[in-house]
Amino acid sequence: MVPRTSGELHAALKEVFELAGYRRYKMSKFEEYDLYAKNKDFLVSENVLTFTDLDGRLMALKPDVTLSIVKNCRESEGVEKVYYHENVYRASEKNLGFREISQAGLECVGDVDEYCVCEVLGLAAKSLLSVGRPCELDVSHLGLLCELFDACGLSPEGRSAAVRLIGEKNPSGLKALLESENTEPRIAEKLISLSLIDDEAAEAAKKLRELLKDAVRRENLDLFAETCSFLSEEFGGTVRVDFSTVGDLSYYSGIVFKGYVDGVPSSVLSGGQYNGLMKKMRKSSRAIGFAVYLDLLEPLFETQNSFDADILLIYPPEAAPRVIYSAAKKLSAGGKSVLTVKSEPRGMMFREIYKLSAGGEAVREK
Amino acid sequence: MKNDMINIALPKGRLGDNVYEMFSRAGWRCPEIENPGRRLTFENPETGVRYFWVKPSDVAIYVEKGAADIGVAGKDILLEYSPDVYELLDTGLGRCRMAVAAPKNFREDLKKTLRVATKFPNIAKRHYSSLGRDIDIIKLNGSIELAPILGLSDVIVDIVETGATLRQNDLEVFDTLFEISARLIANKSGYRFKREKINMIKSSLSALKGENND
Repeated sequence: MVPRTSGELHAALKEVFELAGYRRYKMSKFEEYDLYAKNKDFLVSENVLTFTDLDGRLMALKPDVTLSIVKNCRESEGVEKVYYHENVYRASEKNLGFREISQAGLECVGDVDEYCVCEVLGLAAKSLLSVGRPCELDVSHLGLLCELFDACGLSPEGRSAAVRLIGEKNPSGLKALLESENTEPRIAEKLISLSLIDDEAAEAAKKLRELLKDAVRRENLDLFAETCSFLSEEFGGTVRVDFSTVGDLSYYSGIVFKGYVDGVPSSVLSGGQYNGLMKKMRKSSRAIGFAVYLDLLEPLFETQNSFDADILLIYPPEAAPRVIYSAAKKLSAGGKSVLTVKSEPRGMMFREIYKLSAGGEAVREK
Repeated sequence: MKNDMINIALPKGRLGDNVYEMFSRAGWRCPEIENPGRRLTFENPETGVRYFWVKPSDVAIYVEKGAADIGVAGKDILLEYSPDVYELLDTGLGRCRMAVAAPKNFREDLKKTLRVATKFPNIAKRHYSSLGRDIDIIKLNGSIELAPILGLSDVIVDIVETGATLRQNDLEVFDTLFEISARLIANKSGYRFKREKINMIKSSLSALKGENND
Protein backbone atom coordinates (compact mmCIF):
# COMPACT_ATOMS: atom_id res chain seq x y z
CA MET A 1 0.00 0.00 0.00
CA VAL A 2 1.33 3.45 -0.92
CA PRO A 3 1.63 5.63 2.22
CA ARG A 4 -0.54 8.78 2.24
CA THR A 5 0.90 10.46 5.32
CA SER A 6 4.29 10.60 7.03
CA GLY A 7 2.77 8.45 9.80
CA GLU A 8 1.93 5.74 7.26
CA LEU A 9 5.42 5.97 5.79
CA HIS A 10 6.91 5.54 9.25
CA ALA A 11 4.75 2.44 9.76
CA ALA A 12 5.88 1.07 6.37
CA LEU A 13 9.56 1.64 7.25
CA LYS A 14 9.07 0.04 10.67
CA GLU A 15 7.67 -3.04 8.94
CA VAL A 16 10.62 -3.16 6.51
CA PHE A 17 13.12 -2.98 9.39
CA GLU A 18 11.30 -5.36 11.75
CA LEU A 19 10.76 -8.03 9.09
CA ALA A 20 14.55 -8.23 8.87
CA GLY A 21 14.75 -8.72 12.65
CA TYR A 22 15.97 -5.22 13.53
CA ARG A 23 15.01 -4.05 17.04
CA ARG A 24 13.80 -0.55 17.86
CA TYR A 25 16.47 1.53 19.60
CA LYS A 26 14.86 4.25 21.70
CA MET A 27 17.20 6.87 22.98
CA SER A 28 17.25 9.93 25.15
CA LYS A 29 17.01 13.34 23.49
CA PHE A 30 20.26 14.48 25.14
CA GLU A 31 23.88 13.42 24.92
CA GLU A 32 27.08 14.89 26.34
CA TYR A 33 28.33 17.63 24.01
CA ASP A 34 31.85 16.17 24.07
CA LEU A 35 30.75 13.34 21.73
CA TYR A 36 29.80 15.82 18.99
CA ALA A 37 32.73 18.16 19.61
CA LYS A 38 35.12 15.26 18.89
CA ASN A 39 33.29 14.21 15.71
CA LYS A 40 32.18 17.52 14.19
CA ASP A 41 33.13 16.48 10.65
CA PHE A 42 30.70 13.56 10.83
CA LEU A 43 27.76 15.90 11.47
CA VAL A 44 25.73 17.50 8.68
CA SER A 45 26.01 20.86 10.48
CA GLU A 46 28.65 21.81 13.05
CA ASN A 47 26.16 23.83 15.09
CA VAL A 48 24.77 21.93 18.06
CA LEU A 49 22.10 23.08 20.54
CA THR A 50 23.69 22.92 23.99
CA PHE A 51 22.69 23.50 27.60
CA THR A 52 24.29 22.99 31.00
CA ASP A 53 22.73 20.15 32.98
CA LEU A 54 22.02 20.46 36.70
CA ASP A 55 25.28 18.67 37.54
CA GLY A 56 27.31 21.13 35.45
CA ARG A 57 27.87 18.86 32.42
CA LEU A 58 27.56 20.48 28.99
CA MET A 59 24.81 18.58 27.17
CA ALA A 60 23.48 18.71 23.61
CA LEU A 61 20.15 18.02 21.98
CA LYS A 62 21.00 15.18 19.59
CA PRO A 63 22.01 16.46 16.13
CA ASP A 64 22.68 12.86 15.01
CA VAL A 65 21.68 9.33 15.98
CA THR A 66 24.53 7.19 14.62
CA LEU A 67 27.16 8.61 16.99
CA SER A 68 25.04 7.72 20.03
CA ILE A 69 24.38 4.18 18.81
CA VAL A 70 28.07 3.59 18.07
CA LYS A 71 29.07 5.00 21.44
CA ASN A 72 26.67 2.72 23.29
CA CYS A 73 27.08 -0.49 21.25
CA ARG A 74 28.49 -3.56 22.98
CA GLU A 75 31.34 -4.93 20.95
CA SER A 76 31.52 -8.42 22.38
CA GLU A 77 28.04 -9.47 21.29
CA GLY A 78 28.35 -10.52 17.64
CA VAL A 79 26.35 -8.15 15.52
CA GLU A 80 23.82 -5.65 16.78
CA LYS A 81 20.99 -4.77 14.39
CA VAL A 82 18.86 -1.84 15.48
CA TYR A 83 16.54 0.73 13.91
CA TYR A 84 15.33 4.09 15.15
CA HIS A 85 12.79 6.81 14.53
CA GLU A 86 13.93 9.93 16.34
CA ASN A 87 13.89 13.68 16.14
CA VAL A 88 17.27 15.36 15.76
CA TYR A 89 18.09 19.05 16.15
CA ARG A 90 20.18 20.79 13.52
CA ALA A 91 20.90 24.27 12.26
CA SER A 92 18.98 24.86 9.05
CA GLU A 93 20.65 25.60 5.73
CA LYS A 94 22.43 28.97 5.67
CA ASN A 95 22.20 28.90 9.49
CA LEU A 96 18.78 30.53 9.71
CA GLY A 97 18.05 28.92 13.08
CA PHE A 98 17.68 25.41 14.51
CA ARG A 99 15.13 22.89 13.30
CA GLU A 100 13.65 19.68 14.66
CA ILE A 101 14.05 16.98 12.01
CA SER A 102 12.36 13.60 11.95
CA GLN A 103 14.70 10.80 10.96
CA ALA A 104 14.34 7.03 10.67
CA GLY A 105 17.10 4.60 9.92
CA LEU A 106 19.07 1.59 10.98
CA GLU A 107 22.53 0.62 12.12
CA CYS A 108 24.27 -2.75 11.92
CA VAL A 109 27.28 -2.73 14.26
CA GLY A 110 29.76 -5.41 15.34
CA ASP A 111 30.83 -8.46 13.37
CA VAL A 112 29.52 -7.04 10.06
CA ASP A 113 30.13 -9.50 7.21
CA GLU A 114 29.29 -9.31 3.49
CA TYR A 115 25.80 -10.66 4.14
CA CYS A 116 25.12 -7.75 6.54
CA VAL A 117 26.28 -5.29 3.87
CA CYS A 118 23.95 -6.80 1.25
CA GLU A 119 21.10 -6.92 3.77
CA VAL A 120 21.47 -3.22 4.67
CA LEU A 121 21.66 -2.21 0.99
CA GLY A 122 18.54 -4.29 0.33
CA LEU A 123 16.73 -2.64 3.26
CA ALA A 124 17.75 0.79 1.93
CA ALA A 125 16.26 -0.09 -1.48
CA LYS A 126 13.08 -1.43 0.18
CA SER A 127 12.80 1.74 2.30
CA LEU A 128 12.89 3.86 -0.86
CA LEU A 129 10.39 1.61 -2.65
CA SER A 130 8.01 1.91 0.32
CA VAL A 131 7.55 5.63 -0.50
CA GLY A 132 5.57 4.47 -3.56
CA ARG A 133 7.13 6.82 -6.13
CA PRO A 134 9.86 6.37 -8.73
CA CYS A 135 13.08 6.05 -6.79
CA GLU A 136 16.74 5.17 -7.18
CA LEU A 137 19.46 3.94 -4.83
CA ASP A 138 22.96 4.92 -5.92
CA VAL A 139 25.87 2.91 -4.60
CA SER A 140 29.60 3.55 -4.71
CA HIS A 141 32.75 2.22 -3.04
CA LEU A 142 35.16 4.63 -1.36
CA GLY A 143 37.70 1.86 -0.77
CA LEU A 144 38.15 1.40 -4.53
CA LEU A 145 38.37 5.17 -5.04
CA CYS A 146 40.99 5.47 -2.29
CA GLU A 147 43.12 2.69 -3.82
CA LEU A 148 43.21 4.70 -7.06
CA PHE A 149 43.95 7.92 -5.11
CA ASP A 150 46.99 6.10 -3.65
CA ALA A 151 48.05 4.94 -7.11
CA CYS A 152 47.68 8.53 -8.35
CA GLY A 153 49.93 9.72 -5.50
CA LEU A 154 47.44 12.42 -4.47
CA SER A 155 48.32 14.79 -1.63
CA PRO A 156 45.82 15.05 1.29
CA GLU A 157 44.47 18.31 -0.21
CA GLY A 158 44.35 16.64 -3.63
CA ARG A 159 42.28 13.77 -2.22
CA SER A 160 39.71 16.16 -0.71
CA ALA A 161 39.54 18.14 -3.96
CA ALA A 162 39.19 14.90 -5.97
CA VAL A 163 36.30 13.71 -3.78
CA ARG A 164 34.56 17.08 -4.26
CA LEU A 165 35.03 17.05 -8.06
CA ILE A 166 33.92 13.42 -8.38
CA GLY A 167 30.82 14.30 -6.31
CA GLU A 168 30.11 17.13 -8.78
CA LYS A 169 30.41 14.82 -11.84
CA ASN A 170 33.06 17.26 -13.05
CA PRO A 171 35.57 15.24 -15.12
CA SER A 172 37.25 18.32 -16.64
CA GLY A 173 37.93 19.69 -13.14
CA LEU A 174 39.23 16.29 -12.04
CA LYS A 175 41.52 16.07 -15.07
CA ALA A 176 42.97 19.52 -14.31
CA LEU A 177 43.52 18.53 -10.67
CA LEU A 178 45.29 15.28 -11.61
CA GLU A 179 47.54 17.20 -14.01
CA SER A 180 48.42 19.68 -11.27
CA GLU A 181 49.27 16.72 -8.98
CA ASN A 182 51.54 15.25 -11.69
CA THR A 183 49.60 12.00 -11.83
CA GLU A 184 50.74 9.41 -14.36
CA PRO A 185 48.29 9.82 -17.32
CA ARG A 186 47.39 6.11 -17.48
CA ILE A 187 46.30 6.04 -13.81
CA ALA A 188 44.62 9.45 -14.12
CA GLU A 189 42.58 8.12 -17.03
CA LYS A 190 41.47 5.14 -14.90
CA LEU A 191 40.34 7.41 -12.05
CA ILE A 192 38.42 9.68 -14.45
CA SER A 193 36.73 6.64 -16.04
CA LEU A 194 35.85 5.26 -12.59
CA SER A 195 34.36 8.62 -11.56
CA LEU A 196 32.09 8.48 -14.63
CA ILE A 197 30.62 5.04 -13.92
CA ASP A 198 26.87 5.56 -13.61
CA ASP A 199 25.13 2.34 -14.69
CA GLU A 200 22.70 -0.31 -13.61
CA ALA A 201 24.41 -2.52 -11.05
CA ALA A 202 25.06 -5.57 -13.29
CA GLU A 203 26.47 -3.45 -16.13
CA ALA A 204 28.60 -1.50 -13.64
CA ALA A 205 30.03 -4.73 -12.19
CA LYS A 206 31.23 -5.73 -15.68
CA LYS A 207 32.76 -2.30 -16.32
CA LEU A 208 34.49 -2.28 -12.92
CA ARG A 209 36.08 -5.69 -13.46
CA GLU A 210 37.40 -4.54 -16.83
CA LEU A 211 38.57 -1.10 -15.66
CA LEU A 212 40.10 -1.99 -12.30
CA LYS A 213 41.72 -5.39 -12.89
CA ASP A 214 45.35 -5.10 -11.72
CA ALA A 215 44.66 -1.57 -10.40
CA VAL A 216 43.09 -2.40 -7.02
CA ARG A 217 43.12 -5.31 -4.58
CA ARG A 218 41.36 -8.27 -6.19
CA GLU A 219 39.45 -9.06 -3.00
CA ASN A 220 37.86 -5.59 -2.76
CA LEU A 221 36.90 -5.61 -6.43
CA ASP A 222 35.40 -9.13 -6.31
CA LEU A 223 33.35 -8.39 -3.19
CA PHE A 224 31.94 -5.17 -4.62
CA ALA A 225 31.20 -6.74 -8.01
CA GLU A 226 29.40 -9.62 -6.22
CA THR A 227 27.35 -7.11 -4.21
CA CYS A 228 26.44 -5.29 -7.44
CA SER A 229 25.29 -8.54 -9.07
CA PHE A 230 23.14 -9.37 -6.03
CA LEU A 231 21.55 -5.90 -6.04
CA SER A 232 20.86 -6.14 -9.77
CA GLU A 233 19.14 -9.54 -9.39
CA GLU A 234 17.02 -8.39 -6.44
CA PHE A 235 16.15 -4.82 -7.35
CA GLY A 236 16.79 -4.41 -11.10
CA GLY A 237 17.08 -0.80 -12.25
CA THR A 238 16.17 0.66 -8.84
CA VAL A 239 19.82 0.26 -7.79
CA ARG A 240 22.60 1.85 -9.81
CA VAL A 241 26.31 2.15 -9.26
CA ASP A 242 27.24 5.83 -9.44
CA PHE A 243 30.71 6.80 -8.31
CA SER A 244 29.66 10.43 -7.84
CA THR A 245 28.11 9.14 -4.60
CA VAL A 246 30.80 10.08 -2.09
CA GLY A 247 31.24 10.76 1.64
CA ASP A 248 33.82 11.97 4.12
CA LEU A 249 36.89 9.74 3.73
CA SER A 250 37.83 9.94 7.40
CA TYR A 251 34.52 8.33 8.45
CA TYR A 252 33.35 6.24 5.54
CA SER A 253 35.60 3.50 4.18
CA GLY A 254 33.84 1.01 1.90
CA ILE A 255 30.39 1.12 0.36
CA VAL A 256 28.48 4.42 0.49
CA PHE A 257 25.01 5.03 -0.90
CA LYS A 258 22.33 7.67 -1.36
CA GLY A 259 18.66 7.35 -2.22
CA TYR A 260 16.50 9.65 -4.34
CA VAL A 261 12.74 9.88 -4.82
CA ASP A 262 11.19 11.63 -7.82
CA GLY A 263 9.76 14.98 -6.72
CA VAL A 264 12.26 15.61 -3.92
CA PRO A 265 15.21 17.77 -5.05
CA SER A 266 17.90 16.21 -2.84
CA SER A 267 18.81 12.77 -1.52
CA VAL A 268 16.29 11.42 1.00
CA LEU A 269 18.41 8.51 2.20
CA SER A 270 22.10 8.41 2.98
CA GLY A 271 24.36 5.76 4.43
CA GLY A 272 27.45 3.64 4.20
CA GLN A 273 30.12 1.58 5.93
CA TYR A 274 31.54 3.87 8.59
CA ASN A 275 34.48 1.81 9.82
CA GLY A 276 36.55 5.03 9.95
CA LEU A 277 34.17 6.45 12.55
CA MET A 278 34.41 3.20 14.54
CA LYS A 279 38.20 3.50 14.58
CA LYS A 280 38.02 7.14 15.66
CA MET A 281 35.77 6.08 18.52
CA ARG A 282 38.26 3.32 19.44
CA LYS A 283 35.94 0.48 18.49
CA SER A 284 37.45 -2.49 16.75
CA SER A 285 34.26 -3.74 15.08
CA ARG A 286 32.75 -2.72 11.73
CA ALA A 287 29.52 -0.89 11.02
CA ILE A 288 27.07 0.04 8.28
CA GLY A 289 23.83 1.99 8.44
CA PHE A 290 21.61 4.58 6.83
CA ALA A 291 19.15 7.33 7.64
CA VAL A 292 15.93 8.29 5.86
CA TYR A 293 15.17 12.03 6.04
CA LEU A 294 11.44 11.97 6.67
CA ASP A 295 11.15 15.77 6.73
CA LEU A 296 12.24 15.92 3.06
CA LEU A 297 9.51 13.44 2.10
CA GLU A 298 6.73 15.34 3.92
CA PRO A 299 5.91 17.72 1.01
CA LEU A 300 4.99 14.68 -1.12
CA PHE A 301 2.24 13.72 1.29
CA GLU A 302 0.89 17.23 1.74
CA THR A 303 -0.05 17.42 -1.92
CA GLN A 304 -1.76 14.03 -1.79
CA ASN A 305 -4.01 14.98 1.16
CA SER A 306 -5.69 17.95 -0.47
CA PHE A 307 -8.73 18.09 1.91
CA ASP A 308 -8.51 19.53 5.42
CA ALA A 309 -11.59 17.56 6.52
CA ASP A 310 -14.20 15.39 4.78
CA ILE A 311 -17.13 17.57 5.80
CA LEU A 312 -17.64 21.21 6.80
CA LEU A 313 -20.79 21.83 8.84
CA ILE A 314 -21.83 25.50 9.15
CA TYR A 315 -24.38 26.26 11.85
CA PRO A 316 -26.37 29.46 12.50
CA PRO A 317 -25.39 31.42 15.65
CA GLU A 318 -28.81 30.86 17.21
CA ALA A 319 -28.71 27.04 16.89
CA ALA A 320 -28.79 25.06 20.14
CA PRO A 321 -25.56 23.17 20.98
CA ARG A 322 -27.35 19.81 21.29
CA VAL A 323 -28.90 20.26 17.78
CA ILE A 324 -25.48 21.11 16.30
CA TYR A 325 -23.86 18.20 18.12
CA SER A 326 -26.48 15.76 16.90
CA ALA A 327 -26.15 16.93 13.26
CA ALA A 328 -22.33 16.67 13.41
CA LYS A 329 -22.60 13.19 14.95
CA LYS A 330 -24.86 11.99 12.12
CA LEU A 331 -22.50 13.35 9.45
CA SER A 332 -19.45 11.74 11.03
CA ALA A 333 -20.99 8.27 10.80
CA GLY A 334 -18.63 5.92 8.96
CA GLY A 335 -15.50 7.63 10.26
CA LYS A 336 -15.76 10.89 8.29
CA SER A 337 -14.03 13.95 9.73
CA VAL A 338 -16.38 16.91 10.37
CA LEU A 339 -15.30 20.48 11.11
CA THR A 340 -18.19 22.31 12.79
CA VAL A 341 -18.03 26.13 12.69
CA LYS A 342 -20.27 29.24 12.40
CA SER A 343 -18.75 30.56 9.16
CA GLU A 344 -16.73 29.05 6.32
CA PRO A 345 -13.00 29.24 7.14
CA ARG A 346 -10.71 30.76 4.48
CA GLY A 347 -8.06 28.74 2.68
CA MET A 348 -9.38 25.29 3.66
CA MET A 349 -10.71 22.50 1.42
CA PHE A 350 -13.55 20.05 2.17
CA ARG A 351 -15.09 17.20 0.23
CA GLU A 352 -18.61 18.26 1.19
CA ILE A 353 -20.14 21.35 2.81
CA TYR A 354 -23.38 21.25 4.84
CA LYS A 355 -25.42 24.09 6.36
CA LEU A 356 -27.57 23.56 9.42
CA SER A 357 -31.11 24.82 8.80
CA ALA A 358 -33.28 26.56 11.40
CA GLY A 359 -35.18 23.25 11.76
CA GLY A 360 -31.97 21.43 12.77
CA GLU A 361 -31.41 19.62 9.46
CA ALA A 362 -28.00 19.51 7.74
CA VAL A 363 -28.46 20.51 4.08
CA ARG A 364 -25.72 19.74 1.59
CA GLU A 365 -24.41 22.84 -0.22
CA LYS A 366 -22.45 21.34 -3.09
CA MET B 1 3.72 21.49 -15.27
CA LYS B 2 4.36 18.25 -17.15
CA ASN B 3 7.07 16.17 -15.53
CA ASP B 4 8.75 14.99 -18.73
CA MET B 5 9.84 18.54 -19.69
CA ILE B 6 13.36 19.61 -18.85
CA ASN B 7 13.25 22.90 -16.95
CA ILE B 8 16.25 25.08 -17.79
CA ALA B 9 17.26 28.18 -15.78
CA LEU B 10 19.15 30.71 -17.90
CA PRO B 11 21.02 33.70 -16.45
CA LYS B 12 19.54 37.07 -17.49
CA GLY B 13 21.81 39.40 -19.46
CA ARG B 14 24.48 39.14 -22.14
CA LEU B 15 25.82 35.80 -20.87
CA GLY B 16 22.30 34.36 -20.89
CA ASP B 17 21.76 35.47 -24.50
CA ASN B 18 24.96 33.67 -25.49
CA VAL B 19 23.95 30.59 -23.51
CA TYR B 20 20.52 30.40 -25.19
CA GLU B 21 22.22 30.88 -28.57
CA MET B 22 24.44 27.88 -27.74
CA PHE B 23 21.44 25.74 -26.68
CA SER B 24 19.64 26.79 -29.86
CA ARG B 25 22.57 25.83 -32.09
CA ALA B 26 22.82 22.52 -30.23
CA GLY B 27 19.27 21.66 -31.29
CA TRP B 28 17.25 22.95 -28.31
CA ARG B 29 15.69 25.99 -29.95
CA CYS B 30 12.54 27.49 -28.48
CA PRO B 31 10.72 29.94 -30.81
CA GLU B 32 8.65 31.30 -27.87
CA ILE B 33 11.75 32.74 -26.17
CA GLU B 34 12.64 34.68 -29.29
CA ASN B 35 9.30 36.60 -29.08
CA PRO B 36 8.93 36.78 -25.31
CA GLY B 37 6.06 39.28 -24.74
CA ARG B 38 5.13 39.17 -21.07
CA ARG B 39 5.61 35.46 -20.58
CA LEU B 40 7.96 34.22 -17.89
CA THR B 41 8.47 30.64 -19.09
CA PHE B 42 9.04 29.46 -22.64
CA GLU B 43 8.30 25.95 -23.89
CA ASN B 44 9.06 23.89 -26.91
CA PRO B 45 6.89 20.76 -26.61
CA GLU B 46 8.61 19.19 -29.64
CA THR B 47 12.04 19.11 -28.02
CA GLY B 48 10.61 18.89 -24.47
CA VAL B 49 12.44 21.89 -22.99
CA ARG B 50 11.13 24.79 -20.91
CA TYR B 51 13.35 27.84 -20.39
CA PHE B 52 13.11 30.68 -17.90
CA TRP B 53 15.35 33.65 -17.16
CA VAL B 54 16.52 34.30 -13.61
CA LYS B 55 19.08 36.59 -11.97
CA PRO B 56 22.53 35.03 -12.64
CA SER B 57 23.23 34.60 -8.93
CA ASP B 58 19.89 32.75 -8.51
CA VAL B 59 20.44 30.07 -11.20
CA ALA B 60 22.23 27.75 -8.78
CA ILE B 61 19.45 28.11 -6.18
CA TYR B 62 16.73 27.25 -8.75
CA VAL B 63 18.72 24.17 -9.76
CA GLU B 64 19.69 23.06 -6.24
CA LYS B 65 16.08 23.30 -5.06
CA GLY B 66 14.79 21.39 -8.09
CA ALA B 67 12.68 24.21 -9.64
CA ALA B 68 15.03 23.83 -12.62
CA ASP B 69 16.49 20.47 -13.70
CA ILE B 70 19.51 22.13 -15.27
CA GLY B 71 20.89 25.64 -15.62
CA VAL B 72 23.95 27.60 -16.58
CA ALA B 73 25.85 29.47 -13.87
CA GLY B 74 29.25 31.15 -13.64
CA LYS B 75 32.02 29.34 -11.77
CA ASP B 76 32.21 32.44 -9.51
CA ILE B 77 28.64 31.84 -8.31
CA LEU B 78 29.31 28.11 -7.77
CA LEU B 79 32.42 28.81 -5.70
CA GLU B 80 30.74 31.58 -3.69
CA TYR B 81 27.56 29.71 -2.76
CA SER B 82 28.75 26.05 -2.98
CA PRO B 83 25.35 24.71 -4.10
CA ASP B 84 24.83 20.93 -3.92
CA VAL B 85 24.55 20.37 -7.69
CA TYR B 86 26.33 18.48 -10.47
CA GLU B 87 28.71 20.50 -12.60
CA LEU B 88 28.34 18.63 -15.86
CA LEU B 89 30.15 20.79 -18.39
CA ASP B 90 32.33 23.85 -18.81
CA THR B 91 30.51 25.62 -21.67
CA GLY B 92 33.51 27.84 -22.35
CA LEU B 93 31.22 30.89 -22.46
CA GLY B 94 31.69 34.06 -20.39
CA ARG B 95 35.40 33.60 -19.81
CA CYS B 96 36.91 35.99 -17.25
CA ARG B 97 38.84 35.69 -13.96
CA MET B 98 38.46 36.36 -10.24
CA ALA B 99 41.20 38.72 -9.16
CA VAL B 100 42.54 40.90 -6.38
CA ALA B 101 42.92 44.49 -7.61
CA ALA B 102 44.13 47.66 -5.94
CA PRO B 103 45.25 51.23 -6.80
CA LYS B 104 48.41 51.21 -8.96
CA ASN B 105 50.56 52.68 -6.18
CA PHE B 106 49.22 50.30 -3.50
CA ARG B 107 51.81 48.78 -1.16
CA GLU B 108 50.46 46.20 1.24
CA ASP B 109 51.23 46.83 4.92
CA LEU B 110 51.48 43.33 6.42
CA LYS B 111 51.28 44.72 9.96
CA LYS B 112 47.71 45.89 9.37
CA THR B 113 44.44 44.05 8.82
CA LEU B 114 43.73 44.18 5.09
CA ARG B 115 40.38 45.76 4.16
CA VAL B 116 38.82 43.85 1.25
CA ALA B 117 35.73 45.06 -0.61
CA THR B 118 33.89 42.37 -2.60
CA LYS B 119 30.62 40.92 -3.83
CA PHE B 120 32.11 37.48 -3.05
CA PRO B 121 32.82 37.31 0.71
CA ASN B 122 33.18 33.52 0.85
CA ILE B 123 35.69 33.41 -2.02
CA ALA B 124 37.68 36.31 -0.50
CA LYS B 125 37.62 34.71 2.96
CA ARG B 126 38.86 31.35 1.61
CA HIS B 127 41.64 32.97 -0.42
CA TYR B 128 43.07 35.06 2.42
CA SER B 129 42.57 32.29 4.95
CA SER B 130 44.75 30.03 2.75
CA LEU B 131 47.43 32.74 2.99
CA GLY B 132 46.95 33.11 6.76
CA ARG B 133 46.21 36.83 6.26
CA ASP B 134 43.95 38.73 8.65
CA ILE B 135 41.30 40.64 6.69
CA ASP B 136 38.21 42.76 7.16
CA ILE B 137 35.55 42.01 4.55
CA ILE B 138 33.37 44.83 3.27
CA LYS B 139 30.46 43.21 1.42
CA LEU B 140 29.20 45.42 -1.42
CA ASN B 141 26.57 44.72 -4.07
CA GLY B 142 27.97 46.81 -6.94
CA SER B 143 30.50 49.47 -8.05
CA ILE B 144 33.23 47.58 -6.20
CA GLU B 145 35.98 49.62 -7.96
CA LEU B 146 34.81 52.70 -6.05
CA ALA B 147 35.78 51.26 -2.65
CA PRO B 148 39.61 51.65 -2.82
CA ILE B 149 39.32 54.99 -4.65
CA LEU B 150 37.28 56.47 -1.76
CA GLY B 151 39.37 54.76 0.93
CA LEU B 152 36.62 52.32 1.93
CA SER B 153 38.96 49.37 1.32
CA ASP B 154 42.61 48.64 0.53
CA VAL B 155 41.89 46.09 -2.22
CA ILE B 156 38.95 44.53 -4.03
CA VAL B 157 38.22 40.91 -4.97
CA ASP B 158 36.13 40.97 -8.11
CA ILE B 159 35.55 39.61 -11.60
CA VAL B 160 37.89 41.02 -14.23
CA GLU B 161 36.98 40.60 -17.88
CA THR B 162 39.14 42.90 -20.01
CA GLY B 163 40.52 45.08 -17.20
CA ALA B 164 39.28 48.27 -18.94
CA THR B 165 37.22 49.49 -15.93
CA LEU B 166 40.21 48.92 -13.64
CA ARG B 167 42.55 50.86 -15.94
CA GLN B 168 40.12 53.76 -16.27
CA ASN B 169 40.09 54.05 -12.47
CA ASP B 170 43.87 53.68 -11.96
CA LEU B 171 43.49 50.21 -10.49
CA GLU B 172 45.40 47.09 -11.49
CA VAL B 173 45.30 43.34 -10.91
CA PHE B 174 47.66 42.17 -8.14
CA ASP B 175 46.71 38.51 -8.05
CA THR B 176 44.51 36.13 -10.07
CA LEU B 177 42.54 33.67 -7.92
CA PHE B 178 41.01 31.46 -10.63
CA GLU B 179 39.62 31.45 -14.16
CA ILE B 180 35.85 31.70 -14.58
CA SER B 181 33.47 30.42 -17.25
CA ALA B 182 29.82 29.41 -17.43
CA ARG B 183 29.07 25.84 -16.32
CA LEU B 184 26.15 23.54 -17.11
CA ILE B 185 24.79 22.43 -13.74
CA ALA B 186 22.11 19.85 -12.84
CA ASN B 187 19.92 19.06 -9.86
CA LYS B 188 21.13 15.83 -8.23
CA SER B 189 17.70 14.25 -7.96
CA GLY B 190 16.33 15.59 -11.26
CA TYR B 191 19.39 14.18 -13.02
CA ARG B 192 18.42 10.67 -11.90
CA PHE B 193 14.90 10.76 -13.25
CA LYS B 194 15.69 12.66 -16.49
CA ARG B 195 19.18 11.26 -17.00
CA GLU B 196 18.87 10.37 -20.69
CA LYS B 197 17.61 13.78 -21.83
CA ILE B 198 20.03 15.74 -19.64
CA ASN B 199 22.94 13.73 -21.02
CA MET B 200 21.67 14.37 -24.56
CA ILE B 201 21.69 18.12 -23.88
CA LYS B 202 25.14 17.88 -22.28
CA SER B 203 26.58 15.96 -25.24
CA SER B 204 25.10 18.34 -27.82
CA LEU B 205 26.53 21.35 -25.95
CA SER B 206 29.85 19.59 -25.50
CA ALA B 207 30.06 19.08 -29.26
CA LEU B 208 29.77 22.87 -29.72
CA LYS B 209 32.22 23.71 -26.93
CA GLY B 210 35.25 23.60 -29.19
CA GLU B 211 33.75 26.44 -31.22
CA ASN B 212 33.42 28.59 -28.06
CA ASN B 213 37.06 28.06 -27.24
CA ASP B 214 38.22 29.24 -30.65
